[in-house]
Amino acid sequence: MREVAIIGVGAHATGQFTDKPLKDIAYLAIWNSLDDAGVKPEDVQVAYVGNSLGGLLTGQEGVRGQVLLQHSGITGIPIINVENACASAATALRGAWLEVASGAADLAIAVGAEKMYVGDSARTVGALSAVSELDLSQMGMQFTTSYAIHPKINLKARMKEYGWTIEDFAKPAVKNSANGALNPLAQHRRPLSIEQVVQSRVVVDPLTLYMCSSISDGAAAAVVCSLDTAKKFAGKKPIRIASCTLRSGVYKLPNDERLDTATTTAQAAYEEAGIGPDDLQAIELHDAMAPAELMLYERLGLCDAGDGPKLIDDGITTLRGRVPVNPSGGLCSRGHPVGATGLLQIAELVWQMRGEAGERQIEKRPKVTMAQNQGGLLLGQDSAVYCCTILKS
Amino acid sequence: MSHAPGVVVPSYPTQSPALLGAKCGVCGMVVFPKMPVCPACGRNGVMQDIEIGRKGRLFSHTIARFAPKGFKAPYFQAFVDLDEGPRIFTLIGGECAVEDGVLEDGMDMKIVVEPLADTPENKNILTYKYVPIRGGSGHA
Repeated sequence: MREVAIIGVGAHATGQFTDKPLKDIAYLAIWNSLDDAGVKPEDVQVAYVGNSLGGLLTGQEGVRGQVLLQHSGITGIPIINVENACASAATALRGAWLEVASGAADLAIAVGAEKMYVGDSARTVGALSAVSELDLSQMGMQFTTSYAIHPKINLKARMKEYGWTIEDFAKPAVKNSANGALNPLAQHRRPLSIEQVVQSRVVVDPLTLYMCSSISDGAAAAVVCSLDTAKKFAGKKPIRIASCTLRSGVYKLPNDERLDTATTTAQAAYEEAGIGPDDLQAIELHDAMAPAELMLYERLGLCDAGDGPKLIDDGITTLRGRVPVNPSGGLCSRGHPVGATGLLQIAELVWQMRGEAGERQIEKRPKVTMAQNQGGLLLGQDSAVYCCTILKS
Repeated sequence: MSHAPGVVVPSYPTQSPALLGAKCGVCGMVVFPKMPVCPACGRNGVMQDIEIGRKGRLFSHTIARFAPKGFKAPYFQAFVDLDEGPRIFTLIGGECAVEDGVLEDGMDMKIVVEPLADTPENKNILTYKYVPIRGGSGHA
């Protein structure tokens, strides 16, 4: 396998762009990434395009990748459509990485784009439910519920087990809203207090509105090439993909003692990159519901069971801490246009590693970082998709 | 009226409804809904239909304050550990008032068959739900 580097990233702001079609949202991210890399459309040899809800929400069920890329002037090359729920964009990056790592292509683009504002939020919520196995969604299962009581995370039970309080649940939302307030691309740019988060209305007990990511439009893209050819293209320091690990959920019965898939995915990513969790200097992780960040600290190996809130109390994961988590604002603040999120995370990490993150720049430019993206729900107590990508500069 | 998949509605009123699951003839794994390949031992062609889920125990529950299309908020959402092993997602029967304190994790539960939701989309679909067993555990 060849070494692969990210040489350009681009993003469209996240938020509500009701009158802007998906292909115009994607266009901006695509061209920002091409310009950032200093490459032209004709340099791109293969493309992976992530999108999750476009079939149900825009009606464009097939060939969305070809539609988006032709609109942006990229045609003729192999274009692969990727649907992997909220991890569609991370999965697209993995495809582009493999193409270059294997030597099949020298330069590839990964795109993630999503349009969730369609003028009818009930329709959007319905489409979101459809990324769970039908047997669950048809019974009225909701994603928010899954974070509250689903066996794979069961935040409600953690309150009893660990003694976590509702204020603890609010801490990641507060921390990340402060980061998002500094991010010009973020959907929600208002710093929140613990009181505001706790007192916002209950969506699914114990989760309140400001603990939940909202409906969002957005897009991001990354241009990757072999480390050797990276020098050929203009200017910016290549960021190496040290590992890009994709796993699917496993069917578990109660009392199954196997490690959860979020943990095993991270462990595999660490092993392939030859690092451990202590080596990470910045992380973007999948806080679709803010308190999930506390559980992911454990699963990524950043702390012992139950110690999540302490990482925030001690300032370790804040923007000025030892390992800032979600410097972009994360899914709740930066935004969660589901099929774009994985690449929005990658774009943020690349900007941080290059020192281009503006007001939210991590003071000591991070050299080793990780993006963690997940999505979907299966019967058998697991999410459908997990992806961890480790970057090195 | 139509039935949600996997629900066994008895032909005699004295019989309790059940769920149609599958049991691995080799390792004994029980799953719901049915699957053709055992997710525990990986064997194909050894899963046999089995009626399960008449009783179970409440694993977790919450009240959803917002509902997707076809459902009405507030409504309970829950996971129940069936006596035969599977832990399944379920709604709670209409006899339970949707209020804090009505349900407690660990409660003994029994199956009921009801319309999926009191909405135009779902009122004609019969499905399984669970309710607490009143007066004594009644748990095997």
